[in-house]
Amino acid sequence: MEENTTNSRVNVYVQKAIRRPGSVYKTAFYIATFGFLVSTLFPFYWLTALAVTPQDQIYGLGLLPNGFNPGVFIEIFQQAPLHRFIFNSIVLSLATTIFVILLASITGYVFGRLDFPGKVPIMLFVLAISYFPPASFLIPLFELFTGNVSILGLSSPDLFNTPGSLILPFSALFMPLSIFILTTFYSQIPDGLEDAARVEGSTRLGALFRVIIPLSAPGVVTAGVLTFIYTYNEFFFSYLMNNGQPENWAPIVHGILNYQTQYEQLYNYMAAASLVAVIPVAILVVLAQEQIISGLTSGALKE
Amino acid sequence: MSKEQNQRHWLAVHRPVLNYIERLNETQFAYLLLIPSALVLGLIAIWPLIRTFEMSLHADALLSPDIIGEFVGLQNYIEVITGQRDSQMGSAFFDPSNPFQSALLVTFIFTIVSVFFETIIGFGQALVLDKEFKGRRWARVAIIMPLAIPIVIQGMIFFLMFQPNIGFLAAPLQELGLFSAAPLSQSLDATVIIIVADIWKTSAFMALLILAGLQSIDRNLYNVAKVAGATPWQRFKRITLPLVLPMVLIAMLFRTIQALRVYGLIETVASCNTIPSLSCMVVSTFSNGLYGTSATVAFIIAAIIAIAVSGYIWRLGEEAVV
Repeated sequence: MEENTTNSRVNVYVQKAIRRPGSVYKTAFYIATFGFLVSTLFPFYWLTALAVTPQDQIYGLGLLPNGFNPGVFIEIFQQAPLHRFIFNSIVLSLATTIFVILLASITGYVFGRLDFPGKVPIMLFVLAISYFPPASFLIPLFELFTGNVSILGLSSPDLFNTPGSLILPFSALFMPLSIFILTTFYSQIPDGLEDAARVEGSTRLGALFRVIIPLSAPGVVTAGVLTFIYTYNEFFFSYLMNNGQPENWAPIVHGILNYQTQYEQLYNYMAAASLVAVIPVAILVVLAQEQIISGLTSGALKE
Repeated sequence: MSKEQNQRHWLAVHRPVLNYIERLNETQFAYLLLIPSALVLGLIAIWPLIRTFEMSLHADALLSPDIIGEFVGLQNYIEVITGQRDSQMGSAFFDPSNPFQSALLVTFIFTIVSVFFETIIGFGQALVLDKEFKGRRWARVAIIMPLAIPIVIQGMIFFLMFQPNIGFLAAPLQELGLFSAAPLSQSLDATVIIIVADIWKTSAFMALLILAGLQSIDRNLYNVAKVAGATPWQRFKRITLPLVLPMVLIAMLFRTIQALRVYGLIETVASCNTIPSLSCMVVSTFSNGLYGTSATVAFIIAAIIAIAVSGYIWRLGEEAVV
């Protein structure tokens, strides 16, 4: 009896000792989590603090807002057509996404489900395109879109300051990623399903449209969400391929930089405009985080 | 017309096409389907790349109506790399007499330092997200949020935070003697700021890839190690690290490619005059109409990226052999 109690006491002690390093790690874990959350979210908090601080109180602003002026979120729209820039960006991103997804699903289907000679070299070639910096597409595309390239005596259409001069370069930049995400997706659909449809008498295209495409919907959504976010975020071509006028389809890059150049000292406007312009992608991240994560990982792995 | 008649009519019209597609073998069918993408990529990606390369082999043509001058072979490359074109390249960084090498240096410093810290922080974030805890979904949303922020807004945030008049960071850092009074227009300070901005935005990219690596590790390995009495640190060093290393390298490869292209962040936070990266040089020579030089610098960036990619692939290959 006595021996038993000693044993259990020892047990309790040993268990505590074993648990102790665990609890040390647990504390470290909570500190790390807290640190990461604060460092990623803090800039958004501070932007809000800056935005709502009245114009004349901004000088020497610390970590807390210096006053409360929610009207700034209306003033920024009166000062510049921010809504038009955001609208432009959303339309451009949607158009790019649709264009990219249409082409990338066909290509992804071919790479993911068909075997043919030359497949690996072609895939490597597409991959190589995605490694080139945007700067190496710049001059010819600029020439092309300003109507300075002539093919057989016909000069190229003047697309500068139209949506086309942005949608086409965006597509060149982001199509490879979508192709690789969709290739992975199509290759994971079991062969049996397509074979069954073919045996049942469906045509090749019939099997593609009735079996494969419906099954690939999650992959299409993933590639679409990523393409939309990337296009909305793009800087290089957004900045250089138009003259920055909202009526010429200038995207959000110009909308935000406008506040920096024209309204030199209006820091609270810059902060408020940045917060407003983030809303579309922020909503997308909350709603589609699973797709973003799976897309980024599968795209990178395939490549 | 009923729906069925409609369908029959459609089939009658398209029968020859469908039959044609049906009779193709798999290779022909594959190439047929590749035509649309090939045309589009050909026009907006492959042709511009070839044309840029061609331009890089021609002289600048400032005084003539043509876009580029006569064929000069690799002379552009030689002159850019040896610094003979420096007078046309605008601002410099460390050594004012040598803009091209400065741009090279700035781009390398930016890439190496930011990718280094992103790997470490991303690894930490991945370890946190790998655990089960209450509110994990929202922690994940918070950690990946910066990834989705447009570059121009990322730049604006750090432009504001380091503004001497309003940003809460400029004054204390200046008092500590770390930064100058106007950090955004001082090259070294501004470079540090864009590195911090880059780490803030893209560590999460590393985190997501490393997280995928962590989750593919067989959990039984940990149980065996636990039974054998390994401490958490030993388990991390002997199991987690080696198994997740290939994924870390892939993530680093992607971040390196992105970082070597840096342009928008610089343009928003400071300016290409303060931090002249290689992409800045492409744009500034392009705006001055020096198309030959501009194309040359663009292809030098591409060559550097190619070298970096081959380096990583070689390292990954070694990893696979071991």
